[in-house]
Amino acid sequence: MRRALAPLLSLALAACGGSSAPAPADAGGSGPRGTLVVASQSDIGNLNPITYETAFDANILSNVIMPLFDSTLDCALTLTPALATSWSFDEAGTTLTVSLRDDLTWSDGVKVTAHDVAYTYELVRNPAVASPRLGFVQHFTPDSPRVIDDHTVAFSFTKAYDRTTMMSHANLGPLPKHAFEGADPGALRGHPVSMKPLASGPWILTTHERGSRWIVEPNTAYSGDAALKPSLRRVVFRVIPEYATRLTELRNGGVDLMEGINIEDVDDLRANHPDIRIASRGYRTSDYIGWNSTNPLFADKEVRKALTLAIDIDAMIGKLLTGNDGTRYAKKATGTVTPELCKAYDDSLAALPHDPDQARAILAAKGWADTNGDGILDKDGTPFRFTLATNAGNKRRADASILVQADLRKVGIDVQLSVLESNSFFETLRKREYEAALAGWAAALFVDPSAIWGADQPGKRNEFNFTAYNNPAAQALIDRGLAEPDPDKALPIWKELQQVIYEDQPYTFLWWREELAGIHNRFENTEITPQNLLDDLHAWSVPADKVKYAR
Amino acid sequence: MSAAPSPSGSVLHRIAAVLPARYLAQKIALTALLLWGVATLIFVLVEVSPGTAADKFLNPDIPAEQRAMIIAKYGLDQPVIIRYAQMMGRYATGDLGVSLVQERPVADIIATALPNTLLLSLVTLCVIFPVGIALGVFQAVRQGTAVDSVASVGALFFYSMPAFWLALVLQLIAPSLGLPISGMNDAVMVDFMSPVERALDTARHLVLPGLAMGVASAAGVARYMRSSLLEVIRQDYIRTARAKGLSERVVIGRHALRNALLPIITLVGLSLPFLVGGSILVETVFAWPGMGKLIIDAIQQQDTPLIIACFLLFAVVVALGNLLADAAYAVVDPRIRHQ
Repeated sequence: MRRALAPLLSLALAACGGSSAPAPADAGGSGPRGTLVVASQSDIGNLNPITYETAFDANILSNVIMPLFDSTLDCALTLTPALATSWSFDEAGTTLTVSLRDDLTWSDGVKVTAHDVAYTYELVRNPAVASPRLGFVQHFTPDSPRVIDDHTVAFSFTKAYDRTTMMSHANLGPLPKHAFEGADPGALRGHPVSMKPLASGPWILTTHERGSRWIVEPNTAYSGDAALKPSLRRVVFRVIPEYATRLTELRNGGVDLMEGINIEDVDDLRANHPDIRIASRGYRTSDYIGWNSTNPLFADKEVRKALTLAIDIDAMIGKLLTGNDGTRYAKKATGTVTPELCKAYDDSLAALPHDPDQARAILAAKGWADTNGDGILDKDGTPFRFTLATNAGNKRRADASILVQADLRKVGIDVQLSVLESNSFFETLRKREYEAALAGWAAALFVDPSAIWGADQPGKRNEFNFTAYNNPAAQALIDRGLAEPDPDKALPIWKELQQVIYEDQPYTFLWWREELAGIHNRFENTEITPQNLLDDLHAWSVPADKVKYAR
Repeated sequence: MSAAPSPSGSVLHRIAAVLPARYLAQKIALTALLLWGVATLIFVLVEVSPGTAADKFLNPDIPAEQRAMIIAKYGLDQPVIIRYAQMMGRYATGDLGVSLVQERPVADIIATALPNTLLLSLVTLCVIFPVGIALGVFQAVRQGTAVDSVASVGALFFYSMPAFWLALVLQLIAPSLGLPISGMNDAVMVDFMSPVERALDTARHLVLPGLAMGVASAAGVARYMRSSLLEVIRQDYIRTARAKGLSERVVIGRHALRNALLPIITLVGLSLPFLVGGSILVETVFAWPGMGKLIIDAIQQQDTPLIIACFLLFAVVVALGNLLADAAYAVVDPRIRHQ
């Protein structure tokens, strides 16, 4: 299919003129060629596997530092050899022994060894570092990981749990020990090697001008798997904070790849810019309405169900997330497991329909009636009135809030809207100091429902459980699922959990939303995954006759 | 009584007369007080705003005792008053501290962004004032003519135009003018340019943000200049000069303009903070890697040391701007002496 399309695409390009005359100095050679220009909303922070924070940091790191395992998402997260050549669990399932490649070097020529792996976790554990990945070592034994020999390392865990997750927890870094020795752990993010990392992967960061741009190029010292050698000669990332400017640059050819394109602009790009291809990154993010169950209005799950029945989610998708050509870029959600994890995702779960009559009937049965004729339901003299909060700067959520307000008004519920600055909004959610909130989650790539649905522990509130959800049946399923080492055996547990949670309606789940990226057509093999935007950067290529930049 | 044109050698004397040592000492003391106030105010604002730099560690996976140690790392286990005292102690020694997010000295971070903002705003200011003054004078000497009306309406039009809208319009028409719409340089080709090519490339990148930032201000300067010159022209000494038979060029250029420039000098002084603060909006729209974006990011990430350092820098420049305006008055108007 892709082959058949290729001649058509090149014709379209030729018709566009291609005013920047291709004069490729390196077009004839067999080495890497061509430049990809990527638009980024913000700058990279630090490129240290244990302290990085942004998605672009992760994008660069996964190409610059060879992880133990490569991960691919195909219905479930699958881990394949990278720095690791082989691995095995012991019989108890609590010790993971990993053999490492002996031929990989850092870009300064020093060999990558098991000592680097052990050192990485030593730093993660150091609270002076304040690593956001401290949670990775929560089930590690204190001496884990142990160096067996230069190219073998053993991770010991205090208990067995989902093996993919255990391996993901062992998949940090590694860092070059020799380059960091003597470094101040309290200032690791500002360390020169955190800003310009030594490379062990196929790419290396060659330039970083703060706030402006950064460049990655093929790592000439790369000694690993030849299949990962880059085809492109340079990838230039430009920091362009403003969405409209990024989009104009994409249209003008100033950038070749931009993520997060709004649906109204997709229509325009499809119609007027045949040289730009729209690619979906899959169902990566969801929106939902959280009902704070500590509020008496929302304490009853039947009432929450009535609220969901009253809201026309399909119509909202039609208005907010559908292109002019009728393409729907969202799918009604029934939980917090993304459809991309299709083994764990329960597609048999039927979403509640839009049925305002049934909603009214439930509310009436629960004692809500309009006794004073003001059009608003009331009970014991209290009107059914609440504030729906969302965060500022998100037009989709603001529009969605208005539609929710209109739908609920039709069943006699009065919704006040409030828009809060993002930090404040997040704090009110965490402190459960809100009534209802329209918010969202980014998809987790392995199933761990404990953060969102796990009940509070004595003396320790589960801070991401914004709705104070607490169902012993769900908690039992979460505990069982997390304790199951074989991911396949955990699948039925996760499906059952999704049904239990949906039945409780702690959220009105709205939708899973496709994330869209625009890519210039001169690039080939531009596989985009729901994981990192540039997971397969080595494969991206430009045919010799389409190289745009002379250098 | 017209002031005799003074030889340039006396300029320093005039400045010294306006700014005697006692006055300077007073100014410096006031500036120190201002800086203390700014640092305190920003500290309080960040304190009362929701969230802290340690919030990203709220992940429930992180064991409680380790979380406590992280909170200690950011000093958040200390009472507010202790943290405030420690911060002031640091500033007293001239240490701006270390960014919580980047873990690099704040001074280094500002040093990479400040030159970019200075370049954009200096170039813009150097265009705003000459153009605005020229336009204002042009209008004033043709007061009441059709040209004056057209220019007035035009100036008002640009003066009231939202910079954001102008920026977007400029970006739309830029490709047909062959001008780049974002960044300081061609991000791909800049690495292969000679120094001269690079300078020309930067100049091309300056055009749109410069226009977006400068058009409204230039229109404002023109309006000030026009009304100020008109007021001066009505005065007796101008009538005297004309009665002496001086040419209109000398009357306006030598006698009227100098007095009419006084309010413009105030404007220049007031513009100096903008020189280092840049325009957050224009820098964002045109992806200019300067102070505007730096401050926005610092505020969003609750990077207190960086936020305070940026505002301290602004305060210093405001104080300097006032001082320079005082000095400039002395140069332009010999009647002004320190009271």
